[in-house]
Amino acid sequence: MFEQIFDAALFDSATRAMIPILLAALGGMICERAGVFQIALEGIMLAGAFAAVAGSYLAISWTLGVVFGIAAGMLISLALAYGCVTRRGDPIVLGIALNLLAMGLTGFLLPQLFDVRGVFQHPRIDGLDRIAIPILSDIPWIGPVLFDNTILTYVALLLVPALWVFLFRTPVGLRLRGVGERPLAAETLGVSPTVYKYGAVLASGALAGLAGAQLSLGNVVQFAENMSSGRGWVAVVAVMLGRAHPVGVLAAAALFALAEALGFRFQGNGLPVQITDALPFVVTLLALIIARKRFARLLDLTTAA
Amino acid sequence: MKNRKMILGIALMAALALLASACGGDDEDAGGDGPSLIYVTPNPIGVNKFLELGQVGTQRVAEELDGTWKTFESTNDSDRRANIEAAIDEAPDIVVLTTFTLIELADELSKANPDQKFILIDACPNEPAANLHCGVFREHEGAYLLGIMAGRLSEAKEIGSVVALDIPFLHRWSDSFALGAQSIDPSINDTQVFIGGDNPFSDPARAKEQALAVAARGADHIFAVGAGSNGGIFEAAQQEGFLSYGVDVNQCPEAPGHIVDNNLKLVDVLVEQLAKQVLDGTAGPVVAFGLAEGGTGVMALESDEVLADSQCVIADHPDIVAEVRDARDAIVDGDIVVPDPLFG
Repeated sequence: MFEQIFDAALFDSATRAMIPILLAALGGMICERAGVFQIALEGIMLAGAFAAVAGSYLAISWTLGVVFGIAAGMLISLALAYGCVTRRGDPIVLGIALNLLAMGLTGFLLPQLFDVRGVFQHPRIDGLDRIAIPILSDIPWIGPVLFDNTILTYVALLLVPALWVFLFRTPVGLRLRGVGERPLAAETLGVSPTVYKYGAVLASGALAGLAGAQLSLGNVVQFAENMSSGRGWVAVVAVMLGRAHPVGVLAAAALFALAEALGFRFQGNGLPVQITDALPFVVTLLALIIARKRFARLLDLTTAA
Repeated sequence: MKNRKMILGIALMAALALLASACGGDDEDAGGDGPSLIYVTPNPIGVNKFLELGQVGTQRVAEELDGTWKTFESTNDSDRRANIEAAIDEAPDIVVLTTFTLIELADELSKANPDQKFILIDACPNEPAANLHCGVFREHEGAYLLGIMAGRLSEAKEIGSVVALDIPFLHRWSDSFALGAQSIDPSINDTQVFIGGDNPFSDPARAKEQALAVAARGADHIFAVGAGSNGGIFEAAQQEGFLSYGVDVNQCPEAPGHIVDNNLKLVDVLVEQLAKQVLDGTAGPVVAFGLAEGGTGVMALESDEVLADSQCVIADHPDIVAEVRDARDAIVDGDIVVPDPLFG
């Protein structure tokens, strides 16, 4: 029974569940660092998923689908940036409004553009192919799980070290964090909080849009109404749990995804759905309690460096 | 503060403007002086087969009895109510309503208008008023027939269902599917998993992972009971090469060669028969339609021409089609009793 649950397919499934959450959470992390509480991830992901399918269908090309997904994400986040940076609105109120807007808008455009309701699936929609990386994908266990995936999977995984370097080892990253932590001090030094906050919010829109594209062109090749199904909210929690640190966010997203994939397996072995559904959240709570102190010290060390 | 309110106001207005769209058009058909029917949908018909069949049934009754019919299509909560009230204002012989979405409005408005007769399809309030007649399906009978197909076709002797929620109603599909398969071979093992999560009826990504998990256990026949999530299960079928089963309408064209058959709800038959019973005054408060009434079915029970064009896998197995048709007759005659998991 142990081998039936913990096989490579389980980790494969967990990776697929993790990538959309990770992409969106990395976006949320950048915003958090710039001092903007980003809770529109759910709506941006949904809009990205819709636009990606629409773009892929219209051009019969996944590349354009992904570009559409990024563009839609940035468009929505532009509204957020304008509202909460330029007009100094409350990002929570705006975020919730934008989540509702994305849900209504995609639900409205689906029948208008494609004459379907609920689900849009069509052979013209070009999905993301799995790209096996030579040599690496031949490593037993890890190979097929990590190195035989969609291009957005690699993008997401590479973004983790890239964003760490960006945030903690570049002047721009330092200024971004300065804007988030001490906006007044940053301004005194001639760093414009407006520019940095706009940049952060737009970047989070692009990343959450990518998350949507991975969901609707990678995990499955179709759009279903409200298909983000809470993954954007999980990303918001992953940002907090990972203390807005790239490695922490990766760990949080992986934990959620693994718990979810495990839940599916346990269900097959007779565990009731009510328990497996709660599993990701129970595991998160436990992780929060057990690892908090040690984890916090570790992260403070890396951030202080 | 002022700015914030303004922004929120603009956002909400934009959302409302998009959500609110005109009330659907009326497909009026001038007929004779027979009975009049008005069909009110909870959503635009569009390409929704289920709602379209409701209209087909309404039209058929009106034309057969030389009457008149209309359709009011709704797009959201507020115009659902407005449409039903508009229908009541015209005082037709019957107002035809469909699906669970309209259950509360049907209950409230039928009690408020005791002289107006209503039909509600595929749902029923707990205590329907005397003027409200519900037409419901015995979905378990069709699911049992699908189980027979799985029992004959499964080589691994492992089957499963991916179901939206763990509620007694949906066990009508999954339990009866397993029962049908085990009637062929009692050694067949059944695994049921539930999609759950925030959005069980429209989360294809989650449904796909669940289906892959069931397939990884060795199941080669998996019943997709996930409504809007079904597309993910069919993708998993194409990827892993297992066979699947659809619900409500013929879903075989969504993954040709990977869907054996579907548990059909023949809404048109149900509307037609129930409307006639209501007009005769013979209808009970809740009328259940199963295989005997032709209200539920599978593609294998359709005519040979329809079956040949269905793109369903079962069309390639005439021997199993014959067996399924015999089983249908046995269920209709009462020789096979399919228990109802809703009351079991």
